[in-house]
Amino acid sequence: MSFLLPLIGLAAGLLLGAETLSPAEFLALITDPATPMSHLILEWRLPRVLAAGCVGALLALGGAVFQGVFRNPLAEPYLLGSAGGAAVGATVALLVVLPLPAALALPLLAFAGAWGATWLVLAMAKLAGRASIAALLLAGVAVAAVLAAVRSFLMLALSDETVSLQAVLSWALGGVQTPSWPELALLAALTGVAVGLCMMLARGLDLLGLGEGVAESFGLPVRRFVALAVLAAAFVVAISTVWGGLIGFVGLMAPHIARWRHGPLHRGLLPRAAAIGAGLTMLCDGLARAVLPPAEIPLGLVTALIGGPFFLLVLAREVRRG
Amino acid sequence: MAEVALAGSGLHFSAGGAKLLHGVSVGLTRGEVLGIIGPNGAGKSTLVHLLIGQLTPEAGQVALMGKPLHDWPRRARAALIGHLPQHFEPHWDYRVDELLRLGLDRAGRRAPGLADLAANFGLTAILARRWSTLSGGERARALSATVLAPDPPVVLADEPAAALDVGQAAALMARLRKLADEGAAVAVVVHDLNLAARWCDRLLLLEAGAAVMEGTPAEVLHAPALDRVFGMRFLRVALPGGGMVLAPGESEG
Repeated sequence: MSFLLPLIGLAAGLLLGAETLSPAEFLALITDPATPMSHLILEWRLPRVLAAGCVGALLALGGAVFQGVFRNPLAEPYLLGSAGGAAVGATVALLVVLPLPAALALPLLAFAGAWGATWLVLAMAKLAGRASIAALLLAGVAVAAVLAAVRSFLMLALSDETVSLQAVLSWALGGVQTPSWPELALLAALTGVAVGLCMMLARGLDLLGLGEGVAESFGLPVRRFVALAVLAAAFVVAISTVWGGLIGFVGLMAPHIARWRHGPLHRGLLPRAAAIGAGLTMLCDGLARAVLPPAEIPLGLVTALIGGPFFLLVLAREVRRG
Repeated sequence: MAEVALAGSGLHFSAGGAKLLHGVSVGLTRGEVLGIIGPNGAGKSTLVHLLIGQLTPEAGQVALMGKPLHDWPRRARAALIGHLPQHFEPHWDYRVDELLRLGLDRAGRRAPGLADLAANFGLTAILARRWSTLSGGERARALSATVLAPDPPVVLADEPAAALDVGQAAALMARLRKLADEGAAVAVVVHDLNLAARWCDRLLLLEAGAAVMEGTPAEVLHAPALDRVFGMRFLRVALPGGGMVLAPGESEG
């Protein structure tokens, strides 16, 4: 069932847009590739929807790993500040002239930002005592606020005519740009690597779910594993942020839906969460293009509208559980 | 000569400036259940954590099958030592069969062993149930099955009976007894001295981080040191068929 969602999302993403098509219209267009509209769909909408799917899968994987490694059902890249860290890194890469090619600087700094921000949040939460669910979230909110301020400052202080402030801003609100086919191939390959990397963490995440003491006695080197998992999640979050900007709540929703349907074992949960995240993000991206034609609303806005109430629902459940 | 599977010698440990354990030596012998007894704060849990390698002693050493504990690869050690923790609350709502799979996986074994394991611990009917729906006794059995899935030759249990009613506690102790009879070396921290007397071969009495005495249940439970350590005069009631039960008497505190 979870694996059907990407197909539904793909279909919705292809049909929805400034000009929303009925399935019959879509089929007619596809069978006649000579028309400008079918060219638009295949060369513009299709790669964009696929890129949104990859970004959604990455967000879901990042969320699932963070939830597993921190054993916190409310953890996700956006709320934990790690996406904010990646955004600061990416902003620096976009606005500061660095002795590195931009294609390298952007992902590298995004990765460093995501990784640094996650450890900062973790350290702050531990300062407040045990890394409880509430402490981790509050530290995440604080760090995310500071990072957003830093990013805004950088944008105001460093942008000039050569860099469009609007481009940086629209990216910060969350949104997938239409990639070229080679760019899409690279994103798809990186997403594949991310899935593989996260699957290698599955057994450790399952053991961690039994508690650190039991995980340790079952042979898991807990501290080393946590460090490794945070590193992997930072990599995943950095790629999603470089391609999709700041998109909240997909990383929260997708793993939860997967866990409700499949249970908590990560070998099954991770690929399902990725599929759900991909489908959800493709659908939201379609809505972002279709709601106010010809304008496009930021993707992050659509996911927040859906994800915010979802977050409250999960929070209420956790509070009830104690 | 029975084989000592896990041995700690001259173990010292302190935390936060407080000396929690000084110079305790202990040996877990195959075929035997060792009961670790003593009042709260005597160092029982610290001793268990040193023996399973979750804490590292400041002085002294722990040897598993004659080889220093930390020289064993993690996974080999995990398959050799089963540790029943004092508290266990999984962070996710695992199903019973998922827990058992995680336990079996530790020994590199998979599903074929699952049915046997479930039957052995009386879990067959509740394999598909989630942790949050289990009763206290079912949880204890599911946890035991998970920890003991790879048939570890060494088993350490840290007050496993603390949250169980008297029948469930006895069932758990009987299970540990059976493991020892089948050749495992078992150590169990027990608060209930009558459970200790009934199921253990030897008792180690700890007080303020030091070993006071070690011996058979009859020796230790009759010793005046027991009354001194617990700060009360026990009533020792002989049973018709031999053996005895302890009842709390007058407090000396």
